[in-house]
Amino acid sequence: MTKLKIMFIAIIAMLGQFAYSQTTTVTGVVSDETGAPLPGASVVVSGTTNGTQTDFDGNFTLANVPSNGSLNISYIGYVTQQVSINGQSSVTASMQIDAQALDEVIVVGYGAQSRAAVTGAISSVKSEDLNAVPVANATEALQGRAAGVSVVNTGAPGTEPSITIRGLGTFGNNSPLFVVDGVIVGNLSGINQNDIETINVLKDASTTAVYGAQGSNGVILVTTKKGKSGKTQLSFNAHTGFQQNTQRYDVLNTEQYLQYANEAFGVVPNTPSSASGVNTNWQDEIYTTGLIRSYDLAASGGSETSNFRISGGYFEREGIIIETGFQRYSFRANSDFTFGKLKLGQNFSVNFNKQNSDRIEFGQRSLLEHAIKAAPYLSVYNPNNLGGFQGPNSAGDGQDAENPVRLLKHGNAVNNTFALVGNIFAEYAIIDGLKFKSQVGLDYYKGTSNNFVPSYNDDSLGGTHQQTFASITKNTSAGQTLIFTNSLTYNKTIADVHNFEALLLAEKFDSQGTSLNANSRNSVSDEINELSNEDSSLESTSFEYNRLGFLGRLNYNYDDKYIAAVSLRRDASSKFGANNRWGWFSSYALGWNIAKENFMVDTNVSTLKLRGSLGYSGNDRISNYLYSATLVNDFLYPIAGSNAVGTTAFGLANPDLKWEETRQLNVGIDLGFDNDKFTAALEYYENQSDDLLIRVPTSTSLGINEGSQVRNVGAVETTGFELSLGYNDYEGDFKWSANLNLSTSSNEAISLGGVDELNGGGFENQNITRVTEGESLFHFFGLVTDGIYQNQAEVDAVFTANPGQTTVQPGDIRFKDLNNDGDITSEDRDIIGNPLPDLTYGLNLSADYKNWDFNMFWTGIYGRDLYNTNIYDLEGMPRLFNAGVAVLDRWTPTNPSTTVPRAGGAPQNIQLSDRFVEDGSFSRLKNLTIGYTLPSDAFGQELFSKFRIYVSGQNLITITDYSGLDPEVGSGDLFEYGIDRGAYPQPKTYLMGLQVSF
Amino acid sequence: MFTLFTAMVIVNGCSENDLELVNPNGLSPETFFKTEAQVQSAVNAAYANLQTRGLYSRHMFFSQDNMSHENDGNPQLEADKRQYLDFSFDSSHGPIADYWESCFRGINKANFVIGNEEAINAIEESLVSNAVKQKFIGEARFLRALYNFLLVTRFGDMPLITEIPTTTEGIAKSSADEVYALIISDLQSASATLLDKSEEANGRATKGAAIALLGKVYLFRGEHALALAEFNKLSGYTLEPNFFDNFTEETEHGVESIFEIEYDDALGTSAQWNSSVTGAGPNEATFRGQEYGFNDWFNVFPSDDLLDEYEAGDTRYADTFYSVGDTFGGGVVTADMLTAGDERRAGWKKYQNYYKDANEDQESGINFNYLRYADVLLMKAECENEVGTQDDAIDLINEVRERASLDDLPYGLSKAAVFEAIVHERKVELAGEQVRYNDILRWNLTSTELAGTNFQTGKSELWPIPDREITSNENLSAADQNPGY
Repeated sequence: MTKLKIMFIAIIAMLGQFAYSQTTTVTGVVSDETGAPLPGASVVVSGTTNGTQTDFDGNFTLANVPSNGSLNISYIGYVTQQVSINGQSSVTASMQIDAQALDEVIVVGYGAQSRAAVTGAISSVKSEDLNAVPVANATEALQGRAAGVSVVNTGAPGTEPSITIRGLGTFGNNSPLFVVDGVIVGNLSGINQNDIETINVLKDASTTAVYGAQGSNGVILVTTKKGKSGKTQLSFNAHTGFQQNTQRYDVLNTEQYLQYANEAFGVVPNTPSSASGVNTNWQDEIYTTGLIRSYDLAASGGSETSNFRISGGYFEREGIIIETGFQRYSFRANSDFTFGKLKLGQNFSVNFNKQNSDRIEFGQRSLLEHAIKAAPYLSVYNPNNLGGFQGPNSAGDGQDAENPVRLLKHGNAVNNTFALVGNIFAEYAIIDGLKFKSQVGLDYYKGTSNNFVPSYNDDSLGGTHQQTFASITKNTSAGQTLIFTNSLTYNKTIADVHNFEALLLAEKFDSQGTSLNANSRNSVSDEINELSNEDSSLESTSFEYNRLGFLGRLNYNYDDKYIAAVSLRRDASSKFGANNRWGWFSSYALGWNIAKENFMVDTNVSTLKLRGSLGYSGNDRISNYLYSATLVNDFLYPIAGSNAVGTTAFGLANPDLKWEETRQLNVGIDLGFDNDKFTAALEYYENQSDDLLIRVPTSTSLGINEGSQVRNVGAVETTGFELSLGYNDYEGDFKWSANLNLSTSSNEAISLGGVDELNGGGFENQNITRVTEGESLFHFFGLVTDGIYQNQAEVDAVFTANPGQTTVQPGDIRFKDLNNDGDITSEDRDIIGNPLPDLTYGLNLSADYKNWDFNMFWTGIYGRDLYNTNIYDLEGMPRLFNAGVAVLDRWTPTNPSTTVPRAGGAPQNIQLSDRFVEDGSFSRLKNLTIGYTLPSDAFGQELFSKFRIYVSGQNLITITDYSGLDPEVGSGDLFEYGIDRGAYPQPKTYLMGLQVSF
Repeated sequence: MFTLFTAMVIVNGCSENDLELVNPNGLSPETFFKTEAQVQSAVNAAYANLQTRGLYSRHMFFSQDNMSHENDGNPQLEADKRQYLDFSFDSSHGPIADYWESCFRGINKANFVIGNEEAINAIEESLVSNAVKQKFIGEARFLRALYNFLLVTRFGDMPLITEIPTTTEGIAKSSADEVYALIISDLQSASATLLDKSEEANGRATKGAAIALLGKVYLFRGEHALALAEFNKLSGYTLEPNFFDNFTEETEHGVESIFEIEYDDALGTSAQWNSSVTGAGPNEATFRGQEYGFNDWFNVFPSDDLLDEYEAGDTRYADTFYSVGDTFGGGVVTADMLTAGDERRAGWKKYQNYYKDANEDQESGINFNYLRYADVLLMKAECENEVGTQDDAIDLINEVRERASLDDLPYGLSKAAVFEAIVHERKVELAGEQVRYNDILRWNLTSTELAGTNFQTGKSELWPIPDREITSNENLSAADQNPGY
């Protein structure tokens, strides 16, 4: 049927040729707006297929041109021109850049759409915004740039930030799906942000349901820069600068520590170091100034039939904690070639990352905790001790605290990763509007992580911290994902107003990986950072994970006014049990471009669009093989002098396991006035996630080794608003723009499937964070403080049911007896904080005046609580350690403090309570840049097409009430999300940079 | 178009088989219990939970020695361990939950053996003899009894887990009597199939261990005649000539040893901090040396009440404690007993490495005695005092006293006097061996022995059922909490 139509059209077209007989040969030249020749521009006689392309100098010659006809001159990225011949034999055309055309195509999942036809919730972030901040990972740069996208960065160089889209829809992994040039990847650490053209964030079901069982956390769609036809361009970007953190906790000096030890604990430190007279500020010893630098070189170009872009980059960032840092070498080549109806292309990048970490593993005391607690009279170094460092001798020195400089400097810890990400594709235009595309995507990684700690003894006179051997750890992991995608797209316009776009797609995803962890000791030498058989341990694991998906999508619009879209995906995953392996995911969307209605034509309203979508997507982020039962054999017990190996059942199988499903409802309105000089967009969303995969703790008395079972039992509802406002004045010498985005999000755990609560975020043997039905997710749960007992009568007034108790005394913290049982117990706990922000915003202000440019970018969050465990170290006074200066004002019979309890004190004083909860709201000047662009003839002749120098600063101002070093706290593990255990703070950065293009 | 799409699907080579994967990293339960090594390995796993931080690696000695007030706390003692001293722990207390869970995980591992008895018995007799099969089951029953005993003495009524769980549904509480009934039947069965100490590898449960534990359990139940009958079955054990040999690494599994909790720091310690409940990984050392060591963390010290209990001339004093001015570390260091400004009268010597090292570390390889013959002699004396004769009891007490160079108790003491002698003798002989707190409870002597310690009668006898259990077990609610919590 279709073939018949095409033949018919072709015949009509041929007939058309015969209708005109008076023809001429026309020559001409096509140039861009600066007058430079445009090679490869298309020149076609209007209404015919008779055409040619301009040569390298922009010239063309075209025969058989009707002398009363016109030429259609087009070039990608430029406004198509119609030039009337009027009997001339020579024409010139100056092409104008089509700014709108570049904006108008939005990359979506498995395709692209014109902006006007978009019905979903998509936020776009452009390369200039991504590159405003010096980052090692593009995810970091997304912070504050898009409504509904929440990024929490860390100061640790090379550490992946945590990112969530539209709040939390699951108790598990809330990380979005990352897709780079159509390839699903684990994260963006393998991509140089200088190679990124745009990042589109897909937020609602009409955009994410096409990703089926992986789409419900939202999708980060990255499009890398491609070559453009035109002259080859060379560009070089460089910046260098430094970073530092000047914030410190105020802790006791030596004199104060000795006094505090004596008065608070009756301790007169008489250890070897206590009279040394040394006064070490341990925080100053671990924080330092770090250098940052980055160089990028790219060449790009192409013609109408082929394009290329190659680039290489080097990025280095020294940490603001000594010995830490990150280095990256990145390379990318993107190209495509057109042979008639066939287009072939590839996009590949190779990255080498090297990270020197702060060597603190999760669960260990943080460096900051050590720096706070270490006695100030201890020197950092002591050449008489093995290893050369000084640590505590015994309890008088606050012996838990290790020398944080030794932790960082003694030996080394290096993580190397290699990543290869890319694709190869072929696209064939079968008939007009019908294309077949086949693509193979690859994501390969190999990582090694080495940790070497030579022997040490931090006090040769009998120290607490010593290791009599060198420990060597070498872990490696490698894996690959291959994604085969075949698709058919068909675009058809009927009667000029009925626009159809259909997609059929099949996708196969094969992933596998291995890891090998090995460690050993060396008690003979500290020189050899290699493994041996001495006390060695080895473990290897491997996995395979496969998926299969089929997708159909149909978009229709009537004259760009009335839009409808549906999609349907069928997915299967090897992660799920045999009983529930396949599932359907669908979406439905409608849109109405009111501004295109006739009655709006004469108004100042340039955009007015209503859109709504409803759909279902899934989340399959769980471990492999969870549905099956296995045995574990890592139990050891000494029998007759050697380890007997024990084996037992790991857990309970769950063959019903399946993906989580989220129903997403989104309504939005887009507004634009005065040719979109003012823009506004408002979205409301309501997501309900069901069948949430919860690692349900099995009753501890069942004694199941896994301790839990993953089941589809939970439900969460998340709702929120997103508002974007923009003003863009692009005319005149002074151009400026202001863009604000605001988002709110609130959530509620609707069901935990019969489980009372989920707990995590352990601290001092208790769990800080809780999830329970009917409440916001991951809130802090603990006792509520109510001042300090000033006398025994006040104590007795609370402990009416436990009058004999002597543990709690005057000077201890009074907690509220919320259940009124006359005793303070764990039953008196309540919600004491919520780590998830009520409001997140980003505000970008840009201005250009002649050759000067200015950018200021603020971001912040409001309505967020943090649990600051450092307060426990600073003011908890559980035992003798160094502490914050607040302890000098502690309660004593003669100093009836109402804020700081007595030293030592009742154990309840340091139980989880709102004593350690602080408001973590902040506003931060994320970036400030001032740039100057030299006129292109600055040196008398045109040496370059662009030459810009700039200075910039990051995190220069932070407005917050939070007492910690950095209010931006958050980890991918949501039970840890609002817990500040002494996080690596973000530095202030000062940079100067250069951008040159030739 | 449809044809094309079909072609596309074929191109993709979509095969359902790619979605049916077998975990390459673990064995499958269906194919287990086919060889002797596999059965033995399942038994081994059940021992490993004794070495968690919730039990013997860290919290067993703190909790039992602090609650009994054989210890007093130095200022650096952490809050969760200080709470044992003043009985101020509640149901959110982390290490109590670890103790609970460690035991139940041990029970589940034992049930993994006992519950697969059919599969084990199905192994060909030529591959594994029937006696060996029954010995394995016996080890599992012994361990299940031990873990249940550790639980029921601390928590009273509790869930009684007798089978391998097939669903995640929790189990309601059973009465302490029902728990004891299972403990007794497990030990009776184990004592019939386990091997004698001379035939068994050091570290494994033996016939003697099952008999002695069964006697101890009967004693806890007040069944003195039954207890005595068990103790009388015990043969082949005798006192170490040198008391201190019970507490050094080199002289473990001596003639007095009945059942020990095994540690060997040479066998790996990398999982020491990670295993609060699981028992997984190399955690073959205990923190005991570092935690108690007066030249190291010195978190606790022997209480005045304990030190004052010793008679003049009791050689066990110098074998149990170091005093100021003693030399240690192979005779090169002099003890000063100073901690954070205060000088203590004594520091622990029992279970410390100071007899050979000047400093402890977190990796002590010294075993704990769970049951040794001196303990049995004194328990037997208790039984004789109740159902036999006082003079027979005095003979048994004197056997223990003689080793400590003390004068014999005279014959003809009253029952009450003999009982008092036993209370005294157990306190000094078994000091710091996690025995006394149970003794005080079963003797009902809390009002005198724990006077002034914030011990609350009617509450402190039992630990609270951990919050972790109450929230995770749908058949256990706050109403099931022990009295007073």
